[in-house]
Amino acid sequence: MTTTLRIALLAGLLALVSNLAILGFIYLRTHDATTNTLRHEVIEQGAVLADVYRTGGMPALRGAIADTVNYSENEETAVGLFDRKGRPIAGNLANLPRSEQPLQEGYRSGLLRFADSTAPQEAALAIHRLPTGDWLVSGRASPQGLALRNTLERSLLIAIILALLLGLVCGYILAQYVGQRVRNIVAVTGRITGSDLTRRIPLSGTDDPFDRLGLQINEMLDRIANLMQEVRIVTDTLAHDLRSPVSRLRTAAQAAGETSDPARRDQALASIIGQADSLMRILTTVLEISRSRAMTGREQFSWFDADALAAELSEMYEPVAEDSDVTVLFERPPRPMRIFGHRQLIAQAVSNLIENAIRYGSDGGEIRLSVEEDAKQLTIAVADRGPGIPEDRRAEAVRRFGRLDSSRSEGGAGLGLTLAQAIAHLHGGEFKLDNNEPGLIAALVLPLSGDDQQPTADPGL
Amino acid sequence: MGRKILLVEDDRETAAYLANGLTQEGHSVEQSTNGQDGLFRATDSSFDLIILDRMLPGLDGISVLRALRAAHIETPVLVLSALASVGDRIEGLESGSDDYLVKPFSFAELLARVNALLRRREARVDPADHRLTVGDLEIEPLSRTVKRGGRKIDLKPREYLLLEYFARNEGRVVTRTMLLEQVWDYHFDPGTNVIDVHVSRLRRKLEEGFDKPLLHTVRGAGYMLAA
Repeated sequence: MTTTLRIALLAGLLALVSNLAILGFIYLRTHDATTNTLRHEVIEQGAVLADVYRTGGMPALRGAIADTVNYSENEETAVGLFDRKGRPIAGNLANLPRSEQPLQEGYRSGLLRFADSTAPQEAALAIHRLPTGDWLVSGRASPQGLALRNTLERSLLIAIILALLLGLVCGYILAQYVGQRVRNIVAVTGRITGSDLTRRIPLSGTDDPFDRLGLQINEMLDRIANLMQEVRIVTDTLAHDLRSPVSRLRTAAQAAGETSDPARRDQALASIIGQADSLMRILTTVLEISRSRAMTGREQFSWFDADALAAELSEMYEPVAEDSDVTVLFERPPRPMRIFGHRQLIAQAVSNLIENAIRYGSDGGEIRLSVEEDAKQLTIAVADRGPGIPEDRRAEAVRRFGRLDSSRSEGGAGLGLTLAQAIAHLHGGEFKLDNNEPGLIAALVLPLSGDDQQPTADPGL
Repeated sequence: MGRKILLVEDDRETAAYLANGLTQEGHSVEQSTNGQDGLFRATDSSFDLIILDRMLPGLDGISVLRALRAAHIETPVLVLSALASVGDRIEGLESGSDDYLVKPFSFAELLARVNALLRRREARVDPADHRLTVGDLEIEPLSRTVKRGGRKIDLKPREYLLLEYFARNEGRVVTRTMLLEQVWDYHFDPGTNVIDVHVSRLRRKLEEGFDKPLLHTVRGAGYMLAA
């Protein structure tokens, strides 16, 4: 069974059920209303006649019965006076209402026959017993009420059939509409699968569930497109960046093969190993970046003191910095600043930032490491007093492996900022570069809301 | 003194290179090329050390390791892996291995780690607070005091940890990566000479005013503390 048919049937069924409820309600209400009116009139008529007997006796009653029969507005009016044996004395009725039980006073409905008719009719009756033992029967045959009821019942039946048909039609239209919108989405996703990643699902702008689905898919596509773009940049840059270490490696290997001097050969071989190591370092870092971007490693998150980590790293780099005539300053905050994250990766990111600061900002004489937090986020920043990075080149510094200094030869060093950004992203945070006036501030801004934080797409990529 | 080492490695070239090198060091090496066979051999006979490749046909290294530990076989295990990310290293260590070495590695690095693991097995009875001596150097782990030739040497906390690690591996090569992992507990490659700088500071403090060097540089491998 197709979904369209199922939706149509469901809509038809729902229409039927709701129509049945409404029609049933109408039926019950109108039925009650007609019988109530009839009952009132019949009881009243009976009471009037009984009153006439009480005040005027039998002659007055006979007169009133005759008047009722003669002057009644409708011909269904039934009045009859019967003796205790059930023989008619006056009125237009042929016999007492048939009954299995002995006749009793009160309101009832029953079959009776008019004197001028042969067929018994359904009638509502008020029955009084006179003190003489005679029976006063008055009431109304109700062909009108019955007719009304019959018409009503027929109309209701037709209404139900109509409702069912209309429901099916509506369901079909609805199913077509839903199907059309889904087909639109399917068509677009189909084209995307056919590798046209620039396509987006058209939105109606009404913020209905279909729009939201479309929006969600579009956001997903944006993210995929971003990642693809990133992969392309990484692949291009990687292929580009690997050329120089590989060519140096090749040169060294050639030198080792051509020289006959053992000392020079050893030197060349050591250089080959060094180049191979630096290639491996680049590859490992690229791997780390792509893993962080793919959000791998979140299962290794744990709580740790960010200030203790910073203290450890500043102590670790202090001697290296001193060799470059620069001081690493870290003022440990008065209380521990805990964060939920990947301790090893954050350590690696911060260590990359410190190394970058030592490498490019050592002229400034000091590198300041800081850990600060507010209600929402924790910031680990490394600030140097070097030349900094001009504002218009900061995005490039992070994106394009940071090869701002083309004369740089250390392999993998340019990946430091990219990795820091990827690690910030893994934590749902941001990586920011700022002007230290003079110098560079590189900061990891990590949200404190914890492990449930869902990171959004990389900004600026 | 030779030891029995089980080498589970499916890459024949790597396996032959490692087996050859370890045999030259005087160890006897038994080789296995897949996980099931490796696990079978490891449970069947006793080895002093198992070198286990992480990616193996059949049963992967981590599964072999978990099975071994589940069977209460506590032989030290050194995991070799081409998976180099920090997360992979942590996962490898957390799955019960005693050390984790990322491919490619130098043989010197592997040998240093093998020796450290073999020694650790031997030294398991040593109480941690036992006094350590290397030549005229005395280290008191309880009070963290260091003396050489009876003269007290002031060390920063990290320098002390560094020295203690060297002393516990006296006469054996310790690589930079080992120091980074064991003394700093970092599992990434900093890419600069940060460890060398720390070691040379420690060396200066240990050797200043003494003729005899204690902390030696081993070319192409790392460092060694020896009298």
